[in-house]
Amino acid sequence: MTRLRRTIRENAVPFALISPAVLIILMVVLLPLIFSFYTSFSNYRLIRPDSLWDWVGLRNYKRIMGDWDFWVAFGRTVLFLTVALNLELLFGLGLALLVNKITWGQRTMRTIMMFPMMFSPILVGFQFKYLFNDTIGLVNNGLQSLGLTHEAIPFLVDRWLAFFSIAFAEIWMSTSIFAILILAGLFALPKDPIEAARVDGCSNWQVFKHITLPFLMPFIYIAMAIRSLDVARAFDIVDVMTGGGPAGRTELLWTLISRTAYDDARMGRANAMSYVAILLSIFFTWFFFNKLMEARKHLGAF
Amino acid sequence: MRNINKIGALSLATLMAASSVSASDYGSFDGYTLRVKLIGGAQYEPLYTLIPEWEKATGATVDILSRKSHFELDREMKQDIAAGNTDYCVFSNHTNFAPQYDVMTEPLDGHISADVLADFSPLVVSHATVGGKLFSMPRHSDVSNMYYVKSLYEDADNQAKFKAEYGYDLTPPATWAQASDQAKFFTDAPDRYGTHFAGKDEGITGRFYEMLVAEGGVMLNDDMSPAFNSEAGVRALNWFVDLYEAKAVPAGTTNYVWDDLGLGFAAGAVAFNLDWGGWAAYFNSDDSKISGDVGIVLAPAGSSGKRTGWSGSHSFSMTKGCDNQAAAASLITFLTSHDAQMLEARAGILPTRTQVWDDVIAEFKAEKNDYMVEIFAIYSDSMANHAFTPPLIAEWGEISNALWPRLQAAILGDKTAQEALDEAAEDVLEVMQDAGHL
Repeated sequence: MTRLRRTIRENAVPFALISPAVLIILMVVLLPLIFSFYTSFSNYRLIRPDSLWDWVGLRNYKRIMGDWDFWVAFGRTVLFLTVALNLELLFGLGLALLVNKITWGQRTMRTIMMFPMMFSPILVGFQFKYLFNDTIGLVNNGLQSLGLTHEAIPFLVDRWLAFFSIAFAEIWMSTSIFAILILAGLFALPKDPIEAARVDGCSNWQVFKHITLPFLMPFIYIAMAIRSLDVARAFDIVDVMTGGGPAGRTELLWTLISRTAYDDARMGRANAMSYVAILLSIFFTWFFFNKLMEARKHLGAF
Repeated sequence: MRNINKIGALSLATLMAASSVSASDYGSFDGYTLRVKLIGGAQYEPLYTLIPEWEKATGATVDILSRKSHFELDREMKQDIAAGNTDYCVFSNHTNFAPQYDVMTEPLDGHISADVLADFSPLVVSHATVGGKLFSMPRHSDVSNMYYVKSLYEDADNQAKFKAEYGYDLTPPATWAQASDQAKFFTDAPDRYGTHFAGKDEGITGRFYEMLVAEGGVMLNDDMSPAFNSEAGVRALNWFVDLYEAKAVPAGTTNYVWDDLGLGFAAGAVAFNLDWGGWAAYFNSDDSKISGDVGIVLAPAGSSGKRTGWSGSHSFSMTKGCDNQAAAASLITFLTSHDAQMLEARAGILPTRTQVWDDVIAEFKAEKNDYMVEIFAIYSDSMANHAFTPPLIAEWGEISNALWPRLQAAILGDKTAQEALDEAAEDVLEVMQDAGHL
């Protein structure tokens, strides 16, 4: 007890200085978290404030466990994440390698490359909704004018085409995040090991596979970690383009949760869904940070 | 049932004819600031240009705290209720969603005089009444009737071919069975489809609901348990499924809502279109490819003989916490007055006062605008005799959200109509249990 008192006394100034920050974090992060966690055990409905005190125990969680629609949306979110992240990585890597080769106008190119990131996701959603529309959409009209098809292709209706369409919009907007981060990695790449490899007679592919790529991996995993959090909470683009439909064919976790929370006003159940959904983000963050550590250890061999 | 974006420009022209207001009409509230939340959007804004007149007449000031679309305002209101933040006075409401806000709503009985109320269409007033209490004052109504491209129906070749194929004369559909035949007949994809329908959100729920009623079914039993997965429900849903399977509607119709439908019809993409009254002027405007070629008939009837007529009215309500209820009632009365309604009606929006129907039709007649005379004659009949609302309960939104993904699944062929409705009924049962109805 005296030790504690002494610690406080000796550190009074630092404690006083950090206390506003701690208080603010407690207020804006911890309290809402505790509150929302509590409501996930209640029958809280926004339009019935009294229902906040209607404790229902694990009912919301039990219902979610047996809710097929929720788990399909969960699985689809994982699939969406996997497809979007991998393709963004491939395209981003390709773009970065190409831009790295440019000797003239590279800065302009880098700026142009970042254009898609500058648009609001809602606008990107509207843009692709129009492009993929089955009757007045640019893509359909283009295909029909070129004589490639005589039918209207229902891009936003067909099960796989709709999934492809929302993934396309997401990838279009965010590939440049990968490209920029990988490009930063390429700029920082030491020249010595590459020159040594060339002297030893390595082919371009061997240099890329054994030197460039391992060196880029930490950058890639950082991009993956950031984007996995982004995509796991994908909402705007999907909500605008398909609203999770038709027939739930493009339903992702957050389109489902937002509808439950605000349109249905069932905040208790929506919060329970959110806590289950957050596990997904936690898993991906943990996974990519582990990979990042491994990649950095591997780099230590250089 | 609400978004009509093309009417704003038309309404502006009529603004100059705004009314004069005398102080004795609306009371005196010198120095008082009335806080309100109003629905925004091109269709709704022209009315608010009259507010300065009320301010001048009463000495009060109106502070508009929020001006958002119906769905955004709905979310905001739910958050207001949750946060106990309802210290404003007047808010835009909608008869079909009003029961959701009952916690914050001050019934208007006693605040609006019986004389004023007597001037409103009795059916519409009944739609605004929940559990015997007047929850809101109806501002304007929505109901859908059947617009069609006249030249397609008048074409002698079409008439002969149709008669040979279906055995009866080609006239605008009187029943939904005829509408189905005609949709298939007129389809010439991808250039033209027979028709299209709202395919998501409350749009498809509402269309299914009115078809259910026209087929003789009901949404809920008397004990509030779901009743829509009945034979009538399956028949109603199969009307949509059948047209989708026959490719007589665009494949993307399951993603369409009001703007897609209105603009599609105006672009000549379909032969007929069940749509709201607010679109009428736009269909016949210079922006429309079918201008001058638009006909209108009452919404067709289902197999029970009843016509479809899913309806609702935008309205104004008062909050329980309002600190000057007389001022709130005064503004609500002003915004639903004869002159205010004339302003909206001239733009093609359906009034709720019986006299306004007559007066606006007389105006259109004087202008020799036969098209709008015909439109208002049909819509007046529809609003007076055929319109009905969904069940007026707070859970309508939740019921709709449980239904529409299942309706889409049946339309797209993922499930049979019966399976889809049974699944939705299970969810609705849970909703009604959680809400304490069962």
